[in-house]
Amino acid sequence: KVTDDKGSPLTGVTVSAGSERRTVTDNSGNFTIQVSATAKSLHFTYVGYNATDVIITGKSSVSLSLTPEDKTLSEVVVVGYGVQKKREVTGAISRIGGGAVADKPAQSFDQNLGGRAAGVQITIPSGVLNAPPVIRVRGTNSISLSSYPLIVVDGVPSFTGDFSSTAAAGNILASINPNDIESIDIAKDAAATAIYGSRAANGVVFVTTKKGKAGRSRVTVDSWVGWSKVQRLPDLLNASQYTDYKNEALKNAGTYNANTNAFALTNGPDGKPINTNWYNYVYRNGFQHSNTVSISGANESTSYYFSAGYTEQQGIIQRNDFKRLGILMNIDHKIGKAVNLGGKIQYTNEKNLAAVSSGSLGDAFATAGLGRVALITAPNVSPYNNDGTYNYSGALIGVMNNKVGQVGFNNPVIQLDQNRNNAEVEHIIGNTYAQVKPISSVTVRTVFGIDYVLVDNDIYYSPISGEGFSSNGSVTAALNKNKRWVWTNTIQYDKTFADKHTVGLLAGMEHQKSNNTGYGLNRTIVSDPAFTNVQGGWATPNPSNLAIGENYLYSEFGRLQYDFDKKYYISGNLRRDGASQLGVNSKYGTFWGVSAGWEITKEKFWTSARLDRIFSSFKLRGSYGKVGNIGGLNNYASLSTYGSGLYGGNGTAVYNQAGNSNLTWETSKKTDIGLSFGLLNDKITGDVTYYNNNIDGLLLNVPQPPSAGVPTAIPQNIGTMYNRGIEIAVNATILQKKDFSWTSSFNVATNTNKVTALAPGVNSIIGITGGLESPSITLPGYPIGMLFVTQTKGVDPATGRRIFVNSQGKDVYFQHVAPAGQSRFMYADGTVAPGVSSADAIVYKTTQPKVFGGWENTFRYKGFELTAMFTYQFGNYVYYGTGAGLRDQRFWNNEVGVLNRWQKAGDLTAYPKPIFGDNISNGSSFPLDINVFKGDFVKLRSVSVGYNLPKTILEKVKINNARFYVAGSNLLIITNYPGPDPEVSSNGNGTTNFGIDRNTVANQRTITVGLNVGF
Amino acid sequence: CAKKDALNPVPSTSISDLTAFNTKDRIEGQVRGIYATIKNSGMYGGRYQIFNDIRGEEFNNERTNVVTGFDIWNYTPSNSSTNSVLNHWARAYYVINLANVFIDGMAAKGSAVVGTTLSNNYLGEARLLRAISYYSLLQLYARPYWDGNGSKPGVPLRLKGNTNSGNYALARASVAEVYTQILSDLTFAEQNLPLDYNNAALNTTRAHRNTAIAWKTRVYLSMQKYAEVITEANKIVSATPPFTATSGVANALQSDYTSLFKPPYTSTESMLSMPFSTTEQPGTQNQLGYYYGPSAFNGGNGEYSLLSTGIISNTGWKSTDARRSFVQVFGSKSYLTKYSVPSTFTDWAPVIRYAEVLLNLAEARTRSTNTVDAQAIALLNAVRGRSDASTVFTAAGFADASALADAIMTERRIEFLGEGLRGADITRLGLPLPAKPGVNSIPTTSQQYIWPISADELLLNPLCKDN
Repeated sequence: KVTDDKGSPLTGVTVSAGSERRTVTDNSGNFTIQVSATAKSLHFTYVGYNATDVIITGKSSVSLSLTPEDKTLSEVVVVGYGVQKKREVTGAISRIGGGAVADKPAQSFDQNLGGRAAGVQITIPSGVLNAPPVIRVRGTNSISLSSYPLIVVDGVPSFTGDFSSTAAAGNILASINPNDIESIDIAKDAAATAIYGSRAANGVVFVTTKKGKAGRSRVTVDSWVGWSKVQRLPDLLNASQYTDYKNEALKNAGTYNANTNAFALTNGPDGKPINTNWYNYVYRNGFQHSNTVSISGANESTSYYFSAGYTEQQGIIQRNDFKRLGILMNIDHKIGKAVNLGGKIQYTNEKNLAAVSSGSLGDAFATAGLGRVALITAPNVSPYNNDGTYNYSGALIGVMNNKVGQVGFNNPVIQLDQNRNNAEVEHIIGNTYAQVKPISSVTVRTVFGIDYVLVDNDIYYSPISGEGFSSNGSVTAALNKNKRWVWTNTIQYDKTFADKHTVGLLAGMEHQKSNNTGYGLNRTIVSDPAFTNVQGGWATPNPSNLAIGENYLYSEFGRLQYDFDKKYYISGNLRRDGASQLGVNSKYGTFWGVSAGWEITKEKFWTSARLDRIFSSFKLRGSYGKVGNIGGLNNYASLSTYGSGLYGGNGTAVYNQAGNSNLTWETSKKTDIGLSFGLLNDKITGDVTYYNNNIDGLLLNVPQPPSAGVPTAIPQNIGTMYNRGIEIAVNATILQKKDFSWTSSFNVATNTNKVTALAPGVNSIIGITGGLESPSITLPGYPIGMLFVTQTKGVDPATGRRIFVNSQGKDVYFQHVAPAGQSRFMYADGTVAPGVSSADAIVYKTTQPKVFGGWENTFRYKGFELTAMFTYQFGNYVYYGTGAGLRDQRFWNNEVGVLNRWQKAGDLTAYPKPIFGDNISNGSSFPLDINVFKGDFVKLRSVSVGYNLPKTILEKVKINNARFYVAGSNLLIITNYPGPDPEVSSNGNGTTNFGIDRNTVANQRTITVGLNVGF
Repeated sequence: CAKKDALNPVPSTSISDLTAFNTKDRIEGQVRGIYATIKNSGMYGGRYQIFNDIRGEEFNNERTNVVTGFDIWNYTPSNSSTNSVLNHWARAYYVINLANVFIDGMAAKGSAVVGTTLSNNYLGEARLLRAISYYSLLQLYARPYWDGNGSKPGVPLRLKGNTNSGNYALARASVAEVYTQILSDLTFAEQNLPLDYNNAALNTTRAHRNTAIAWKTRVYLSMQKYAEVITEANKIVSATPPFTATSGVANALQSDYTSLFKPPYTSTESMLSMPFSTTEQPGTQNQLGYYYGPSAFNGGNGEYSLLSTGIISNTGWKSTDARRSFVQVFGSKSYLTKYSVPSTFTDWAPVIRYAEVLLNLAEARTRSTNTVDAQAIALLNAVRGRSDASTVFTAAGFADASALADAIMTERRIEFLGEGLRGADITRLGLPLPAKPGVNSIPTTSQQYIWPISADELLLNPLCKDN
């Protein structure tokens, strides 16, 4: 009989006697085996447990318990083209178990990596469902190219990014059901990543999906339901406050006229003045649920994992939905001893739905943007007229009794009722492999993988009002097809000589080809409002979303690993890549990484110093290497081209792209020095690492002076930057009693980012938000993406004017409408000052966090389990551009703070005298320091309370395990940031325009209730 | 081999710069491409006209939207105002560089491909488009010529094609130097453009010799060089009514003013217009009809209504005047309805019309002779009489030359309302920018009298100084 360390029977344990006889244990852990008389021992193996030999000489029955493999230092991690025991790894790799991302109210696994691995910073950019998170592994490692890591799913590099062409976000990684994930390994240094050569600069994330485990087949059901809501929205003026305040501003501007230029209340159907809270129309409590069923198992020759999942999630914005239906099949089959065959196939159908722009996906200033519309639309008008019809005037919301031209942009209710912005994604990921071991030390493997993404974009704008008004309706159908195949061939040699010299040698080659095509049709001027699809009756056909492109990557790579007596380790990786995107003179690049490790606990002096009593493991490691980046590079970026269009109905040729035939890789030279240790029999394990990443040849789209007239910024490998820091990760089993345990994981990372050189003649790069605002600047000597704002000095108590500080350091007093004899910009002495603008901006604060990390605690008491995960971030600043809009003195509604405005001489206030039309004093016209805030926060990212049904009950109902839980995500934010959430990015994964919060929909807060059952 | 081909993919939707001058079609395509570029993203396709209109006193901003020119209207653009200061600067220089790259490429290869005559025609078009781009820059970003006789800073003057990265630091040439280049380009164009394309559409959408001459009258007028205006105008304006061009395209006033703004938009009066169609759309928030037409009229956004204190208050502008038919009341406000095509707002954008040449000549004669000039009155009557036969100006009606000049300016405001002449007319005459509701008047000496220089230019071109 075979049991685990707690005495429960183990099913499916392989028992072998010599090489000819083997069997497996049954459901009770019992087994029978006939052995030859000469057999002296039995060999027991089971996944997740230490292999054990038992002497059987003279015994007819054997009972034993297997000890589980050490869960921390000895577990394996995924490295490129293979796995390695964590204890033997000399590179920097963080492993995250699949449990960390399963059963979370998120659309994609990457949203839940925050705080789980030292040096990995995740920012959820907005509350829009399925927006790709911002992932930074050890800081921002590129300026113009992607800073997003390479994602390798089951050995095949995956597409990443937002594949939707509509106002609904479509992170392509959401196709992977988080419940199907076994583990996520994040490789950070050159040693760990160099095997991916040219794509390794931002780190590599290995995602491994679940496989069948030995034993009888298992069925699992994982389900949860959840409710999400928006949080921390700013308080706005109500209808009467708004009406009075705006009229005061009109009077201050000298243009108030009760009959022709004034704000006024309107009575609603109930006879009382309309007082609309637009949040109620734009936001909602979203209901979500997710269900996954899996069947898995394995016998001697075949293992399989099959799952089907369906999730439906409602966002906090009305009509923003996510629906995913997916299946996954993993199968591995062994033929004899030498041949393994297998593969996987995943099909996902995913619907990303929205009515209209949220203004949170890089389109901060979209006039339909729901995040913004809810803030600025006048509260004294209603979405409906008193007769129940929509309130609108042309494209805009109607003004009702207000005597002004405009009191809002679009009527959001019409948009939400009528319009459509959907992206349906069909995603097929598959691979198949064959592996042959001609001799036991040699493994030859070939893998062919595909990644096909088909996106059907469907956009409709009603002709009634809003975005479709001026075109009398608009509908777009566009299909985008992305296809990639990857063919990898490797040969691996593993051998241990003289018991002490272990050698691993890998050689391989890989082809990767990607193609995309896109085509679509946009039609406007509807012939009958009943037509809402592109096939209906419309006047104009316009081509839409046309795209065609291809790229190709050819690679040769190798790895050598050697260790002496598990004491001294060295390894080297080499990869040569050729990429089609690069200049004709520089297609190929060679990348490499070397590392060494020293397990000091194996040394005699260590044991003689009795340090082994404290340290179960103590390993020094170091690595250095050179890796590359071309992520996000346009397919034809190196070419100079003429594009074609029409003039007067005839074809044109327009010089539209300036290329560079010497365009080549960005290179990162990464140094890593670390220490891994285990204390008190691995009750405490940890890693301390110093890293330094010097990036050379940063590809900059070097902007030429606009007057040079060069059509596009020319890509050149010219900039330099570094990221440096220290990472500490500690896992501890603080208490381990029979009924109670407490484990804790803590990690912290520091990062110092500095741009050290841009191109000659390029002193700085301005980062743009939403195509309109320039609050960011990147320049040598500073971290990437500094905030670039004009300084202010409060409000003049005597006159209520905003005081600016101009580039000469002089105070300039501003009033939007100047009385006769004065001017808008004046010095303190009353003389006319030149206008203050963004030209007076200074390099102000960094948007890069200095310290960030996470802390997770898990408490178990009998069947109960409490897990709380905190994430934190310090040292960065956020530009709260939304705040500028909230105090804009046009018709826009304002935050309640403006009630403290300046009214009379002597008033001490941060809010200047309101003058209607003033878009300068508060930062709408150009960014101001008053809208820059610290982004420090501590978040209770997730907390859950679970209960595992006790074995006694489980056995009665004949199920293996059952767990119920209640969980919350984003329940608590401790921050001084005035906006909804300092974890925000209006510009998504943008590198030079990070740390901007402009009209962004805030992150949601979610409560979920769920269960996991295993049969 | 296959691997090498895969590593060197050839784009299937663009043409390599290496072969751009290999065929006649590509070369003519490049000429059209320069026009298409000056047309699109709202340069002469709409926005340049709108910027000049809304700097004047005729329009009221209804939307307080900076994207659609609120800051231009109230004289507060900053160096980084994206949709005006940054974009116009970048777009104009893109056109200039396209022309320069074309001129260089023709010298190196293209002239031999198309032959001397066509080559000269095309070079004339390229240089005309370069000239009118520089002209647009001077009107917005530089002090008017009268201020120091052109000695004030103009804009960087670039005449070589730029295709690579390089050191492009260049100081601003003086206003006079830029005007000299503009006139040199226009004179070259005059001498090398075709006389007549013998095709109504081409005669309106492609520059011919008379187009270049018409532009010269506008340019000289901006420089207050009235004698030269007269010399140029006389090349294409007959001495006596009906005033017409007697060589090249037979340019003349059309009898029906309203026909100028209706399909097919091609006439001998429209000497250069930017064509649009459902397959060549003006682009979002660039369209004249979208700015000036209220939603009830053509589904436009009614960005700008007509101020009741503007030219529509002029009592001499009779309700029977054909041009009044384009002023319509919606709600309580008047709007300009010259551009009537609803979405996709494909009214052609007028760039220069023959009527302007007549009024340029009339004004130049009046201001240079400082008399109540008889021919000036005749020219003024030609323009007025076409739309309002009941009004005839006589010498007796004008107290002095100044009164006649005022009448000509009034006529321009009526005739070209919404066609983008007013802003440049105000500055070339040294008038203050007008006060509007909630907006103070800007004196000629003010920094705000002209636009600031593009922040991008200041950042990347250290030799370029701000206004």
